[in-house]
Amino acid sequence: MNIFWHEIKANRKSLLVWSAVMVLLVLTAVAKFSAFHNNPESLAILDSIPKSVLDGMNMRAFNLVKLDGFFGVVFSYFSLMGAMAAAMWGSESIAREERDKTVEFSLVLPITRSKLVTAKLLAALVNCVLFVLITWGASALSARAYQPDAGFYKFLGQEMAAMFLIELVFLAMGVLLGCVLKKYKLAGSMAISIILTAYVLFVVSRMHEKLDVLRFVTPFRYFDAADFYKTGRFEPVYLALSAGIIVVCLAAAYLVYARRDMMI
Amino acid sequence: MNVIEVNKLTKYYGKSRGIVDVSFGVEEGEIFGFIGPNGAGKSTTIRLLLSLIHPTSGDARVFGKDIAKEGPTIREQIGYLPSEVFYYDDMKVIDLLKYSASFYPCDCEERTRELASLMELELNRRIRDLSYGNRKKVGIVQGLLHSPKLVLLDEPTAGLDPLMQRKFFDLIRDENKKGVTVFFSSHILSEVQRLCNRVGIIREGRMVEVSDIRTLQQNNTKKIRVNTRYGQPAFDLPGVTNVVTENGTTQLFFRGDINLILRYLTTLNVDDVSIEEPTLEEIFMHYYE
Repeated sequence: MNIFWHEIKANRKSLLVWSAVMVLLVLTAVAKFSAFHNNPESLAILDSIPKSVLDGMNMRAFNLVKLDGFFGVVFSYFSLMGAMAAAMWGSESIAREERDKTVEFSLVLPITRSKLVTAKLLAALVNCVLFVLITWGASALSARAYQPDAGFYKFLGQEMAAMFLIELVFLAMGVLLGCVLKKYKLAGSMAISIILTAYVLFVVSRMHEKLDVLRFVTPFRYFDAADFYKTGRFEPVYLALSAGIIVVCLAAAYLVYARRDMMI
Repeated sequence: MNVIEVNKLTKYYGKSRGIVDVSFGVEEGEIFGFIGPNGAGKSTTIRLLLSLIHPTSGDARVFGKDIAKEGPTIREQIGYLPSEVFYYDDMKVIDLLKYSASFYPCDCEERTRELASLMELELNRRIRDLSYGNRKKVGIVQGLLHSPKLVLLDEPTAGLDPLMQRKFFDLIRDENKKGVTVFFSSHILSEVQRLCNRVGIIREGRMVEVSDIRTLQQNNTKKIRVNTRYGQPAFDLPGVTNVVTENGTTQLFFRGDINLILRYLTTLNVDDVSIEEPTLEEIFMHYYE
C-alpha cells in the first residue's frame, strides 16, 4: 500500500501536465467547431482533399457540422493522447527506478518484485482513470454551449470507455517495456514509437479496402469511433484481442522482471 | 551457525566476469572484512546476496535460507549500505526514513531518531539538497533503523569526514556487540584491520584467501630490513621474496624456518637489522602481484 501511495505522488506532476494539455486540446477543438457548426458550406474545403486521406482521418465517417460527428473526429486525439500517457506512466514508473538508481533502495526492501510492479501498475491505472474523467469533464462542459442532446452524451460516454480501453492496452504494453528493457532509457522512446506506428497503421488501414486486414494489428482500430458510432457497441473480437494483449503483456512483464538483473 | 554461506557462486555479465566460484562463510556475530581492488567483484557478491542480480551458477544461503527463493524474508533482517546512495530526490529525509520503516515489522521511530541524532542528520531537508556525505548519513540511518541482524556494507566510508567515519565505526561496533553480524567490503585495509575479525580477499573475481586477520598477519611471514656496510647481500634462500635494495638498506619478505634466515644474517657484516610483522597492506599487495 505504501508503494502505491508513493507512486501516486510521484505520478502527480505528470498527470497534471497531460491533463492540462488535454483540456487545452478540447477547448481549442470545440472553439474550432464553431466554424463548422450547422454550416455545411464550411465543409467545401474538404472536397480538395483526396478521399483516401479523409478516410484515413475518419473525416467521411462523420458529419462534421454536428457536434457528435465533430467529436467523432476529435476522438483520434483522445485515443492517441490516452495511449501515449498510459504507456509513459506504465514504462516510466518501472524504468525510473533503474534510471535514478533507486532500485538499490526499493528492491532491497523486504518485498517481492511482483509486489512492486503491482503497486506501480495500480498507481498508473489510477492516473489513467483520472485522465479519462478529466477528458470527459472537459468535453462535456465545453460542449454545453451547443446544447447537445442525450445522444451526444451517450456517444461521448462511449468514446470515454473506448479511450479507457485503449489506455489499458498501452498501459500494459508500457509496463512490459519498463520491465523488460535493460536499456531503461529506451523504454519511453520505444513506447512512443510503437504507438505512432500503431497509429499510422490505423490511418493506413482505413485508407483502402485492401489494407483493411491491418485492423487486427493496431489497437486503435479495435476502438474506432467510426465503428461504434454506427453500431453503438464494441466488437467482441476486439475486446477479446485487447484482453489477450493485456494479459500477455502483463504476464511477460511480471515473469521477466522477477528474474532479471538490475543494472545499477 | 553461519549467517552467510556462499557456495561456488559465479556471476557472468554476458561474457564479462563478475565473480567465479566464490565460496565462504560468515559466522554469526562476527565482523567479516571483504577486501579487494576496484572491479574485483565485491559489489557483485553483495548484490547477489541481495537478489538484485541472479547467479550464473552456484548458490548462497543467508540465515540458512536460499537467496533465490526467500529473498524478501531474508531482506527483512538485512541492513544494506551501498557505496553510493540513491533515494527519491524530491522526498524529505524524514519521509524517506518513514517510508523505509513502513516495510519492516517493527516500530522503528525511536531507533530512527536515535540514529539520526547520532549521525547529526537534518531530517527536514530534501534529499535533493543534500551533499554526498549527508546522503551517506541518510543511508546509514536507513540501513540500520529496522535493527537488522545482518549488515552489509559496501565501501561505507567513502564521502564521510574522519569524525563521522569514527562515529560510524563506533556505531557498527556497538551493533556488533548486540549480536549483529557485519559484512564489510572495502579496499581500504586500515579500516578493515581496525574492525574485522576475519577477512576474505577477492581478486579478479576469485576468492584468494579467507582467514583470521591475525593469522593472515602472522602467517610466519616476516618483513626483514638489513643495513650492510659492504656490498649487497644476495639473499639467495628459499622463502625469500620481494628483495629491494636502496641506499644500502635491503628489505625483503621471508616465509619459512626463521633459523635459516638468522644463520644467513650472521654471515653478513650487518650494521643494523629489523625483523617485524608485515602490515596487512603489505600482505595484501603480495596477493595482488
